Amino acid sequence: MENWKENRVVFWVTALPGIFWLTVFFLIPLALIWGMSFGEKTSIVDIEITGTFANYARAFKEVYLLIIWKSIWISAIACALCLAIAYPIAFGICFSPPRWRPLLLLLIILPFWINLLIRTYALIAVFRTRGTLNYFLEWLWNLAFMDKLIGPYEPLELLYNNGAVIVGMVYVFMPFMVLPLYATIERLDRSYLEASLDLGASQWTTFWKVTVPLTMPGIVSGVILVFIPMLGMFLVPDLLGGTNAIMIGNVITDQFKAANDWPFGAALSFLLMYVTFLALALRAFIGSRSRGRVGV
Amino acid sequence: MTYKPRFMTSRRSVLKGTGAAFIGLTFMPYKAMAEEEKKLNFYNWDTYIGENTLADFNKATGIEVKMDLYADNAELFAKLKEGNPGYDVIVPTNDYVERMIAAGMLEELDHSKILNMSNIADAFKDAAFDPGRKHSIPYMWGTLGHGYRKSKVEDAGSWKASLEGDTHAGRIALLGDGESVIGIALKYLGHSFNSVDPAEMKAAEELLIAGKKNVKAYADDNGQDLLASGEVDLAMEWNGDIIQVMAEDEDLSYVVPSEGSLLWQDCVCIPKGAPHPDNAHAFLNYILDADAGAHIADTIQYATANAAAKAKMSEEYTGNPGIFPTDEVIAKCEPSLYSEEKTRLRSESWTRIQAA
Amino acid sequence: MAGKNRSRGPLDYGRSPWLIGFGILVFVLLYAPIVQLIAFSFNDSKRNIVWQGFTTKYYKVAWENASLVEAFTNSIAIAIMCTVVATIIGTATALWLWRFRFPFKAGAEGVMALPIVIPEICMGIAVLVMYSRIGGWMRTFESGPIHWWNELFSIWPLNLAAITAAHIAFSFPFVAVVVRARLAGFNRELEEASKDLGATEWQTFRNVVLPFMMPGVIAGALLAFTLSLDDFVITFFTAGPETNTFPVKVYSLVRRGVSPDINAASTALIVITLVATVLAMRLQAPSKSEG
Repeated sequence: MENWKENRVVFWVTALPGIFWLTVFFLIPLALIWGMSFGEKTSIVDIEITGTFANYARAFKEVYLLIIWKSIWISAIACALCLAIAYPIAFGICFSPPRWRPLLLLLIILPFWINLLIRTYALIAVFRTRGTLNYFLEWLWNLAFMDKLIGPYEPLELLYNNGAVIVGMVYVFMPFMVLPLYATIERLDRSYLEASLDLGASQWTTFWKVTVPLTMPGIVSGVILVFIPMLGMFLVPDLLGGTNAIMIGNVITDQFKAANDWPFGAALSFLLMYVTFLALALRAFIGSRSRGRVGV
Repeated sequence: MTYKPRFMTSRRSVLKGTGAAFIGLTFMPYKAMAEEEKKLNFYNWDTYIGENTLADFNKATGIEVKMDLYADNAELFAKLKEGNPGYDVIVPTNDYVERMIAAGMLEELDHSKILNMSNIADAFKDAAFDPGRKHSIPYMWGTLGHGYRKSKVEDAGSWKASLEGDTHAGRIALLGDGESVIGIALKYLGHSFNSVDPAEMKAAEELLIAGKKNVKAYADDNGQDLLASGEVDLAMEWNGDIIQVMAEDEDLSYVVPSEGSLLWQDCVCIPKGAPHPDNAHAFLNYILDADAGAHIADTIQYATANAAAKAKMSEEYTGNPGIFPTDEVIAKCEPSLYSEEKTRLRSESWTRIQAA
Repeated sequence: MAGKNRSRGPLDYGRSPWLIGFGILVFVLLYAPIVQLIAFSFNDSKRNIVWQGFTTKYYKVAWENASLVEAFTNSIAIAIMCTVVATIIGTATALWLWRFRFPFKAGAEGVMALPIVIPEICMGIAVLVMYSRIGGWMRTFESGPIHWWNELFSIWPLNLAAITAAHIAFSFPFVAVVVRARLAGFNRELEEASKDLGATEWQTFRNVVLPFMMPGVIAGALLAFTLSLDDFVITFFTAGPETNTFPVKVYSLVRRGVSPDINAASTALIVITLVATVLAMRLQAPSKSEG
């Protein structure tokens, strides 16, 4: 890595566009909301910034902590599933003939150009009690004469539970995992794999000891891109979840909408961000230590 | 420091430095105009206007109406709270009308430009939430009740069916709007829909938590879909939504439970800062017209507050108890009243119910 | 390359039946809802519950719905503008963070990740608050030179600039993350070799760094396009009566049930974007120098 003083022109040319855009269209508006999180509602529309910590104190109530905890584990499971599915897919695309790759990538991303809400409704149409999947299973059931042997097909109740929320989230966030993985696996130096195999390691060992460590940056960025937005998700739990599907994103949305309590909504949002930051900082810390050891 | 949503002078100093960069990037609905252009921006619910109303209005006045849609009152409120991005006519529900009046977000109506106000039914000529109808004209009204599958549910006549007891376990959908669900639970327990009494609120919360195991989902405005697709047999829903699916499935029906329910009223208002206030008044006047009102009611099948329009409608519409409940039923219903305290308490309680 | 062998070599994962089978399964699951959606756009029923016969009338209904078409074109215009700018800014940011060592770098990295971290609704409200503040401030200058600006920015597609700017702000960090992950494996010696051989900074970038990071850039651009095209929350709070987008329109429509014309419009959107992307890839292909 270069010291920035060695090439100031390139440094500023690469640094300024991002800094400018982020400051103007993100940090300034965010600062307004951050201020709000230390404010109080003085009327229906007015918010006075009083420097109070009352909103944060309220966020530490048990019920909100429970919801945050629930959001974390639901997102963690969904994120792990996403990784488990996306990794082989990205791997397969990278090892397919070069002229197929753009097409396969496009095929992965194509469903995501359909609006999230429509896609979720389509998912509902597939999974509901009288949905396509249940009709298909019933057809199979009857095909195997199970209706004669055991009795009529009982449709599965697949929607409106936490499992449905997890499946929905995996479905929604798939490309955000595939793309960074693809970008890293694609540049994987295959001679390392060959060396490992030549030296007698099995495919399995090679995968865990060579491929995974070498593609770690892609895994990490994929997890970040997927896990964090999952934490704040509200539409999927809203539409696919049952009666206790509430996640922190739903609570935050409610504060900004029906409850009309922007200071509290702001405090909850920032709390979520502080938590994520802590996690990211921890990762960077651990990452820098292990990098020092391995010397990559 | 105070945030002043519509009079931003206090923020000027902050923005002075960077403001110039944004100049072109903001919405500029407020143009200095000598005369109002023949345009109108109408912000409405989906499927909530007559099929040809906008085209007919254009023919009658030459004003071109552009209609945008929102999905719920809270969205409308959040969007207009920081300043009107350019809408001329909006359709909030009564408690939100009250809230928006309190927040100074609605333009005062010039009654001399809305001569058709005489067509409004007597019961709606005045309103507690808007004394003297200074800011709103009534549009449609209705109830909250049970939508149900006749072949499966026999006890839909009481809220007990959806709130208590295991008769329909796993086959029930409640609304996703906590304020209304808690209000209905209060009503079932014999209290006021608008109660903020801690003991009553607590009882309602406990009732809803205990009933959770029987409820399949808290449906956000799609209870009628769950009902029509056979996912549930019983849904707490708005009458109009159920009437829509009833037209396609004969086995479905709607009833207002005997404990009473919520009576809502959607109103047409002009938000502060509307760029075309004259056109907006003309539009308000137009929808209160007898023929135009009848056409709207005919399309959307909600109960109209326009007496002259109702007089022109068929027996099939005026005699439908799902649309026009009897006076006895109405007597047991209550409107939702606006209060910031109620909103906050209900929202907290609803979060606890969902997290339980 | 290993792919030259006719028989399946140990590294020829592309021909592993397990991987192919798994891939096919995932694609089927991914596309099942989409296929159903496309099928229902031809269903002669107002509700998407049972099949009632084939019709193309909903394509006509969708096409004749002027506000739907307008929202549709707005969405595509915003997504294209956003993708171009966000890819450039995101790539520059990735290069910056990858190449240089500078004070407070960890802080800068954290701040750049903020838009990924923040709940959408919070950013939506933040942007709403800021734009309305500026709007209010601007309103105090109804005439004068600024008035001229207002006129200019009420012309399509410049009237979409406010939404596009917000989209760029939340999508370029995604591009940066993806490109940076790609750059992490770049051998810096190649760059030094290029410079030793007399290439300028720009030539080195153009001929050495850029080709290497291209797959990352393409992946990032696809992400940005997807994010922009699908964004509802932030756009909802930024859009005005003249600047609706497709997701905003759809959101207000489907809360009361998905109608077939929405399915038809979605099918049209997917076909249009697919054709455009394939064309773009074709046009770009000959200029690709590396294999």
